[in-house]
Amino acid sequence: MIGRQLIDKLSSGWMLVCTSLLLLLPLAIGTGLLAKSIPVLEHQSFFSLLSSAQWSPMEEKFGFYPFIISSVMVTVLSFAMAGPICLLAAIYLTQYARPVLLRIMHPVIDILAGIPSVVYGVWGILVIVPLVADYIAPLAGSQLTGYSILAGGIVLAVMCIPYMLNLLIEVFRNIPRELNEASLSLGATRWETIKFVLVRKGMTGIISAFGLGISKALGETIAVLMVVGNVVQVPGNLLEAGYPLPALIANNYGEMMSIPLYDSALMLSALVLFLIIFLFNSLSRYLIYKTELT
Amino acid sequence: MKKPLIYSILLLLPSLVVSTSCSTSSSENISLSGAFALYPLAVKWGEEYRKLHPDTRIDISGGGAGKGMADALAGAVDLGMFSREISPAEKEKGVWWITVAKDAVLPTISASNPFLGNLQQKGLSSTQFRQIFITKEISTWGQALSSANADKINLYTRSDAAGAAATWAQFLQWDAKQENLQGIGVFGDPGLAEAVSKDPLAIGFNNVAYVYNINTGEKRPGIEVIPIDVNENGRIDPEEDFYDHAGSLLKAIAGGKYPSPPARELYFVSDGLPENKAVLAFLKWILTDGQQYVKEAGYVPVDTAILQSELQKLNGK
Repeated sequence: MIGRQLIDKLSSGWMLVCTSLLLLLPLAIGTGLLAKSIPVLEHQSFFSLLSSAQWSPMEEKFGFYPFIISSVMVTVLSFAMAGPICLLAAIYLTQYARPVLLRIMHPVIDILAGIPSVVYGVWGILVIVPLVADYIAPLAGSQLTGYSILAGGIVLAVMCIPYMLNLLIEVFRNIPRELNEASLSLGATRWETIKFVLVRKGMTGIISAFGLGISKALGETIAVLMVVGNVVQVPGNLLEAGYPLPALIANNYGEMMSIPLYDSALMLSALVLFLIIFLFNSLSRYLIYKTELT
Repeated sequence: MKKPLIYSILLLLPSLVVSTSCSTSSSENISLSGAFALYPLAVKWGEEYRKLHPDTRIDISGGGAGKGMADALAGAVDLGMFSREISPAEKEKGVWWITVAKDAVLPTISASNPFLGNLQQKGLSSTQFRQIFITKEISTWGQALSSANADKINLYTRSDAAGAAATWAQFLQWDAKQENLQGIGVFGDPGLAEAVSKDPLAIGFNNVAYVYNINTGEKRPGIEVIPIDVNENGRIDPEEDFYDHAGSLLKAIAGGKYPSPPARELYFVSDGLPENKAVLAFLKWILTDGQQYVKEAGYVPVDTAILQSELQKLNGK
């Protein structure tokens, strides 16, 4: 039957086309951004763009340093808060808690994941910003507004939790029970079993869960933009305002039209963000590869 | 057995294409986005216009003047709402615009500001505002009011590309741009009003429509205006005192007692003369019958001479 074989051939062809489209997608995005950023790269060298702290587009000065530092600070801060909480919660939910708690937790995670980021932003303005201004900033002895890296980090941490927690729970649930039982029967305590068996066995999964959380944090825009203060400066501490890369792009979307180099500079900032995420993902891939070997 | 499914999908596809193209060619949809300054007035116009033309759908969203211009030029919306001067670069891109109303940007503080009484008596001059917002020579309330107080001024500005910020910067220094304004960047006019009203030491700026309640003409709870000391004599004279009520303020804007900038014209922009008939009819209505709602909504109407010339633009002249 020629018809059947033809359909077979065709369908595998379609699948190949779809897969290669997906493979080419990051490349296409990267090339597009690069093409758009060439004018500003001709105007100023890539290194000086990244290392300069001077940002005044109308005078054609584009320095991304404050934005990169702000992005890194917000991301690291949110990860430092959300990472340990998620890891411990996932261990508790899978090892200690009664199954009913896990059944309650799943819809909670889904709700947290489903809340639109602008709602997180509003919540940040209503709750987190006043909290920072009224309770945390006075500890540092200053009159501050609360719009700060810290507020951005807290909001972002909450937003990353559902993604990381969900993956971590799956990771721990997929580790065979027998491993646990073997370790316990050899006389290890529960904590030793978790530390040496569970975490070790699940390391690749943990790394990819954390990787996803950080990637999410790096690219998050609206919620962070609403609480981080958007001041072009290298933040001296966590209570000062910052200006992460995604916020720069979102805020100045409208001004792109009028000034050609500005347009190009914003595209370059998108490219920088793309490269950071690319590098970061390669790093976590490498870590996964390393742990799989051992 | 899968075949009927595939065929039905293949059959459905063209019909989908046809149905979507139908809905766009009937052109009963008008979409607007952009300046928060124009948003309340555009909503009012939309409501009144829908009473006369029930089958026209009007979608209005905010996002700031910058978004309005970008969306209009990209063809994402029919009309962009715009609230600062149109730059030469934007004119080169072939942007088309008409003036639809006037309003102003006002310097705002929290109603719980500890220096409120003193501020309302003395006001601040444009020089002082420049020293606060641009050069940062004045950083405490004591410096602004020539007293010994050391409370810091918490500066707020708009984070999104905004006409209000651009107009305010222009008032402080003629060649200043939004990027020259210092301070914490907050997204959107409502966001800025909220941030300023909650922080007793804050200073910011807002469009008239977000300082006053359109229906009552009273100031919104929590927010107050710093009177502008136009003649720079260190106090607010009776002719500089018109901020109590939206009505008296609008009169001052119309009569030129409130300086311009920060008073400014508001525009609708699009990528060339709109071709959509529904959009043209809507614009024509705004420039004629629609003008009666301008005052009601808390704005200053445009001079009749300007309205006439804008109507001519609609005819492609």
